[in-house]
Amino acid sequence: MIRALKLEWLKIKNYHTFWILLGLYALALIIICFGGMFLLEYLKNHGADFEGIDPTILPIYDFPDIWQNTTYLGSFLKILIAFIVIISITNDQTYNTLRQNIIDGISKKEYLLGKMLLIAALALFSTVLLFISGLINGSIYSHVQGGHYVLDELEFLFAYWYDIVIFCALAFFLSLIIKKAGFIIIALTLYSLMFEPILTMVFTEAPFLKGQIWASLAPFFPIHAINDLIPVPFPKYAFREIEDNVPLSALAISTVWFLVYIGGIVFILNRRDLKS
Amino acid sequence: MKDILEIKGLSKNFGKVKAVTNLNLNIQQGQIYGILGPNGSGKTTTLGMILDVVAPTAGAYQWFGGMSPISARKQIGAILETPCFYPYLTAVQNLRITAHIKECSFDRIEEVLEQVGLAERKNDKFKTYSLGMKQRLSIAAALIANPPVLILDEPTNGLDPQGIAEIRTLIKEIAAAGKTILLASHLLDEVQKVCTHFCVLRQGVKLHEGSVNDILGETNEVEIAAADNEKLKATILKLDNIEAMSEENGLLILKTANGLTSDAINKYCFEQGLSLKRIVTRTNSLEQEFLKILEEK
Repeated sequence: MIRALKLEWLKIKNYHTFWILLGLYALALIIICFGGMFLLEYLKNHGADFEGIDPTILPIYDFPDIWQNTTYLGSFLKILIAFIVIISITNDQTYNTLRQNIIDGISKKEYLLGKMLLIAALALFSTVLLFISGLINGSIYSHVQGGHYVLDELEFLFAYWYDIVIFCALAFFLSLIIKKAGFIIIALTLYSLMFEPILTMVFTEAPFLKGQIWASLAPFFPIHAINDLIPVPFPKYAFREIEDNVPLSALAISTVWFLVYIGGIVFILNRRDLKS
Repeated sequence: MKDILEIKGLSKNFGKVKAVTNLNLNIQQGQIYGILGPNGSGKTTTLGMILDVVAPTAGAYQWFGGMSPISARKQIGAILETPCFYPYLTAVQNLRITAHIKECSFDRIEEVLEQVGLAERKNDKFKTYSLGMKQRLSIAAALIANPPVLILDEPTNGLDPQGIAEIRTLIKEIAAAGKTILLASHLLDEVQKVCTHFCVLRQGVKLHEGSVNDILGETNEVEIAAADNEKLKATILKLDNIEAMSEENGLLILKTANGLTSDAINKYCFEQGLSLKRIVTRTNSLEQEFLKILEEK
């Protein structure tokens, strides 16, 4: 395991593009994590109110709600980590180094393991960054303090990590099929941020499909499933009931997708002839 | 002799194209084995199969009498076609990756870079290298684990004459150290100069296999020339055991019979009062043999 991870480490250690992209990602995540109060301030200054309540007193940074709030927002940035993964995989194909690595003596299984460990490590980096941001913001703004509140609902951090891992596994799979980094980046962005959300919204909301089976299909879509891992937390501030646990159904469906991606990757790695 | 590689009935089809058909090969320790064939004859596909990056349609191979393919590959230094490295990394950083995969010490890196003459450029990025330097780096990568077996696919491709000479010297040095080398090339001259054994592939079929020395024997043709070729011609006509004589570029080409040798011809001419300014027994070149083999089949 360590051997496979070290191989990936040697590839990225001196790769400036990687570190710049990771730095930009970290910056974006920090802005999202720390930006909540500024956003509420902005809303207040522009006359917004939530059923008569001053937005700045909304307890968005209260423990333990902070975890669901920040993981929900932070997960929108997972596409940036996927870009890093896409570049790492397509590099190995355009430079033919995947083939050279295998010729030099790694197995395809080891290659898969190395890339998945890289993905897990990137997701962990993001999760730790988000956790630290949460601790800082929570200690400043939370109305309740103490270990019991802080450590409650940490399951959302796991869901956040898992969400990134599965999404990056999809990016890995697509990178093996399509091979062209620019093309995958555009296709994945459009699909995950636009095509699938709109399609599933049509399924659930369109008047002509109301009451039919279509709405119940939406949770099974690949992006929908991982997005469901962290339910939208904000309606609770308008006193609506929300799901404040990681839904088991979303966990099950996204795990199935995860296995599909891994299976697809194994299939392609085993089947494909690595000719230049 | 220990078997290094045994290939049995290996075939590969790409769709309808038969890239390699029922190939059998046996490579033994210490051989420098040339796989000779025109472009597209299945050389690289064959090497790809024995290195596990191309899945064979049929057949099997085994390394070192049946070692697991992954451990075997760690003991083989191989380059396939073009050099493949990370362009954004330096030579040293790239070789660290190779050394890590092959589980050998990073200390070897300096040594092999020295050996291929890249020591001065070791901290420059791969993308700044000329083709010749890239080629040399790939040989350095192949040498890094000090492997008993080297696989070189067109190792002098794209190099200038000096680079070609350097690489060939390097290959001979490596071979002198007792390593087994499998060399694929479409350059007949290269195989002739470097290899001990060779086979000829055409459209994925093995046409011939043998030792280079067996094929490169002396022929029964002798080239001679003197200051006065007319007089020489008249003199030679009187000599027995000359089957035929022709003239090429101011040289007389004699076809000899019954074991008439060049020194006998020399002696005869001298006795007749003629001194030769040139006398050479022609040898076969792999090129002639290669063309003969292709014609025959």
